[in-house]
Amino acid sequence: MATGGYVGKILYVNLTDKTTETIETSKYEKFAGGHGIASALFFDLVADKQIGAYDPDNLVTVMSSPFSGTLTPSASGRTEMTGIGSYSYPVEWYTRSNFGGRFGGMMKFAGWDGICIQGASDTPVWINVVNDKVTFEDASALWGLYTDETQEEIWKTVSGSPDVRDWYHLSNTRDGGRTTQKPAVLCIGPAGENLNRNATCQHDAGNAAGQGGFGGVWGSKNLKAISVIGSGSVPIADPAALMDLRLKMQKESAYNVDAPELEAPFPGFNLYGIMTKQPAYGGLLWAPNQPARPQGCQGCFKCCQVTFESGIGNGDICTESLYFMAATDFNEQMKAAFLLDQVGINAYDVFNHAYLYGLYKQGILGPGMQIESNLPWEKYGTYEFMDAFTKCVAEGTDIGADLKEGIRRATEKWGRWDIDSSSGALKYPYWGYMEHYEPRVEVEWAYGTIFGERDTNEHSFNWDLHWMPLVTAAIGAPPLIPAKDMVEIWAEKSGIGDPTAFDYSAEGVYSDGMVKVTAWQRHHTRFWIQSLLMCDWAWPNFVNYTADKNGLSPEIEMGLYSAVTGNPLTWEESIQIGRRIWNLDRAIWVLQGRHRDQEVFANYVYDTVTEAAHQMPMLENGEWVYGEGIGRNIDRAKFEDFKGRFYAYEGWDSSTGWPLRATLEELDLADVANELEGHGLLGASA
Amino acid sequence: MRPMADEAKTVSRREFLTGIGGAGMGAVIGGLAVNALWVDDRVFAVEASGGYLLVDTMKCAGCETCMLACSLVHLGRSNPSLSRIQMVKNPFGQFPSDTDQVQCRQCPYPSCVDACPVGAMHVDPANAFVRRVDAAKCIGCERCVNACPFTPSRVQWNFEDRTAQKCDLCADAPYWNEDGGPAGKQACVESCPMKAITFTTAIPMQNDAGYDVNLRNAHWATLALPTD
Repeated sequence: MATGGYVGKILYVNLTDKTTETIETSKYEKFAGGHGIASALFFDLVADKQIGAYDPDNLVTVMSSPFSGTLTPSASGRTEMTGIGSYSYPVEWYTRSNFGGRFGGMMKFAGWDGICIQGASDTPVWINVVNDKVTFEDASALWGLYTDETQEEIWKTVSGSPDVRDWYHLSNTRDGGRTTQKPAVLCIGPAGENLNRNATCQHDAGNAAGQGGFGGVWGSKNLKAISVIGSGSVPIADPAALMDLRLKMQKESAYNVDAPELEAPFPGFNLYGIMTKQPAYGGLLWAPNQPARPQGCQGCFKCCQVTFESGIGNGDICTESLYFMAATDFNEQMKAAFLLDQVGINAYDVFNHAYLYGLYKQGILGPGMQIESNLPWEKYGTYEFMDAFTKCVAEGTDIGADLKEGIRRATEKWGRWDIDSSSGALKYPYWGYMEHYEPRVEVEWAYGTIFGERDTNEHSFNWDLHWMPLVTAAIGAPPLIPAKDMVEIWAEKSGIGDPTAFDYSAEGVYSDGMVKVTAWQRHHTRFWIQSLLMCDWAWPNFVNYTADKNGLSPEIEMGLYSAVTGNPLTWEESIQIGRRIWNLDRAIWVLQGRHRDQEVFANYVYDTVTEAAHQMPMLENGEWVYGEGIGRNIDRAKFEDFKGRFYAYEGWDSSTGWPLRATLEELDLADVANELEGHGLLGASA
Repeated sequence: MRPMADEAKTVSRREFLTGIGGAGMGAVIGGLAVNALWVDDRVFAVEASGGYLLVDTMKCAGCETCMLACSLVHLGRSNPSLSRIQMVKNPFGQFPSDTDQVQCRQCPYPSCVDACPVGAMHVDPANAFVRRVDAAKCIGCERCVNACPFTPSRVQWNFEDRTAQKCDLCADAPYWNEDGGPAGKQACVESCPMKAITFTTAIPMQNDAGYDVNLRNAHWATLALPTD
C-alpha cells in the first residue's frame, strides 16, 4: 500500500461560484494517474455526457502522474488535459491532449496531483495556486494578450520577472517554502478567447495542449490562465533504486553527448536523432542556424527542443516548426511558429494553407470569389502572408470567421468537403483531424484514431517501424535493424507474441494480428503514455540502435514504477489497467452517441491509392522487408470486417461497438455498465 | 605559498573583501594549486576546497535533472526547492543568457562558514575541506543564507527539515548506491543528460558572472550547436 509518487489531493474548482474543494487522490488510485484519473473524474462529475464542449458543466482536468516532478527519465515533464473538446467532427467527443514542460511537476510541488475545473466565470479570471492557497484573480488586464505576454505578466505578478533570479518566499513565514523557479503557467491566447475550435492551451515556450480544442473550452469558461507555484516534496518509495535506474537509462540507452556510440553521419542531420536520441533534434527537418542550446522538459534525458540566440520560436519543434517551411529566412520560419504559440492555435488545423492557396489559384477563393477573402494571397509564401493568415484565424476575420470552426467545418460550409476529401486534396481522414501518418498503410494509427476520438499522436511503433527505415532509405543506408529482427523484438517485448501481427502488407493490415497490435497500443498508451505520462517521444524503449539492439523496456518501467510508488506491477497488469481506462473512455463516447456506423474514414482513404512510399515492415513472399506501401488503399468491406473482429476482441457488441457488461465488470467498471444500461446503450452480444 | 607574518602586508578584512569582489579568491588564484592563504589575524581564512562543480552554461538544457537528482539522493524525496544546485531560466529568453546555473562555488573565502555563529556551517577536513552544514548544530539563524555573496544564495534554507543546507559534493547523500563526496561521485554530475556538469579539484577560473567553462567537444558541433 505504499503511496510514493502521489501527493494525495486533487483540486476541484467551481468557476461559477469561484469556490474550491479537495478530492482525495486515493479514491481514484485504480485509475493510476493522468488520463485514467481524469476520465474517472469526468465520469463521476459530469452527469449528462451529451452536453457540448462549451457547456459550463464540461469538466476540464489538468492531471499529473506519480512520475511527474521526479527523476523518472522523460516521464516528469508531461501533463495531461481532458474534457469534452470542441474540435472533433461531427460530435464534440470527450477527448484528451498532453503537453510538455514543467506544469505537472509544479502542481505536485504545490501539493496537487491534478486540477479539475467545472462551471464558468462570468468575467475573465485566472486561477492562482501558491502551494495550498488558491485564489481567483481578475484577468481583464490579461484578456487579449498573447500567451507569452500573459505568462510574463503572471510571473511578474506572482514572484517577479524571469530576469529576477533569486529565492522567492511563498509565504511570509520562515518555513513557508521557497523556490527559485517561476510559476508554471498554462494559458490561452486570443484564439481561445474567441472560442476557436482549433485553439490551444500553452505553457512556457513551445509546449501546447494542441489538439482536441481545449483553448475554446477555457475561453467559454472565461478562464485565461492557471498559475501554479509550489515548494513541496514528492515522496519516493525507494529513492536509491530510482537513482540507479535513471543512471542505467542514461548509460545504456541514451545519447552520450561527449562520445556517442551512434552518431548522425553528418552535422545537423536532426532526422537521425530519431534513432540516436541526440539532444536538440526535435526540428527533424531543420537544425539551428545560429547559436543555440538544447532544451528539455523537466527530467528529460533526451532534451529534443531548442532555445535560440534570437529567442524566437524557443521550444517549437516538429509540426508547428514546419508551419512556414517556405520561409527563406529561418528566423521568419520560427517567427511563424512562435505566432501560433502566441495566439494559441493548433498547427495541425491551419497547416494546410497550401490547400487554401490551391483554392485561390483555382479562382474559388479570393476577393469577390465564392469563398470571399481579401488576404494577400498574391504574397503567399512570404511571412507577410503567414502573419495575416494566422491572425485572421485567431481573430475570426476574413476567412478566419469560418476557419475558427476548424477546417473540417469550414470546408463543409464552403461546399468543398465532399469533393476535396474524396480526391485527397484535403487529407483529414478521421473525426475532422488532419492525417498524421499514412492511414492507408500505417493502419494502427488510423484504426486507433477511428475507434478512439482524435488523432492518436502515439509514436509507439512509429519511430522504429516507420521512421528508422525511412531515414536510412533516405540516405541510401541499410536499415539499422532488419525488419525481421525488428518485428521479433517488438512482438516479444510488447507481449503481443506473434511477429506476423506487425505485417503492414496489403493483406496484413486486416489480420487478426493487426487487431491485437491496434488494441495493444490503445491499452499500452492509455496507461504508460497518458496516465503515467511517460513521454511519447521516448517510450517505450523496446529498441536501442547501438551495439545491443535491445532497449530497456519493459523491465525498466516495472522498476521505475515500484521505485517511485513502492507498489509492484507486472507488465500484464499495466496493460490491463490501460484496457480499463480505454474502456471507460469508450463508454463515455457511447454515452455521447457513438455507434459503429460513424467509424468510417474520409472517402480518399478508400477510393484513392498511395503514391509515395511509407516504409513499414511487411511480409512479401514470406520474407520480412520494410515495404514501401505504394498503390495502397483501405478496402471498405475489409475494414468493416476488421471492425467487427476488433470489437469482438475488445469485448464489445459487434453490431454497435458498445462495451458488453461482462467486459466492463471484468475491468472493475460495473458502475459504468449500469450507466450505459440506464441509457439503453450497453452492448448486447459479442 | 605562505608569506611569513612579518613579511606580509597587513590587510584589513574590509579591504580584503572589497579588493577581490564577490568572486572571492577564486578570481585571484584560480587554477593555481593553492590550498591555504595566510593573511593578518583579523582576516578569516581556511583551507580551499578540494573539489568544485563546473557547469558549462552553454551546454545546459534547462531540464532540472540536476535539481531532481540532488534532492532525491540527499533527502530521499523529489523537490527542486530543496536542491543544493539550482537552474533558473526564462523560457522566452535569448541563448545564452536565458538560463543560469546556480551552483555553490566552494568559495576559497567562504562567507557562509565565516557567518555561522555556532560552527554548523564548517569546512570538513574529512571531505577535502568541502564547505557543508552540520544540521545537528544549525540554529536556523540563516546568517549563512544571507552571507553568500551570490544571488540566488547558494545556501538553502531547508524549510521542511528546518536546517540550512548546501552543496557538499554529495559527501552525505544517503539515498544513493554510490560513494559521494570529493573522493567519490556527485549526483548532478552523473545524472546530467548533457554532461554539462563536471567535477574538478583545481579552483576554477572565474569572475562574478560565473566560471569560465567549456565542456563541449566536436560531437556537440555535429548537433549543429556552438562549441565556442
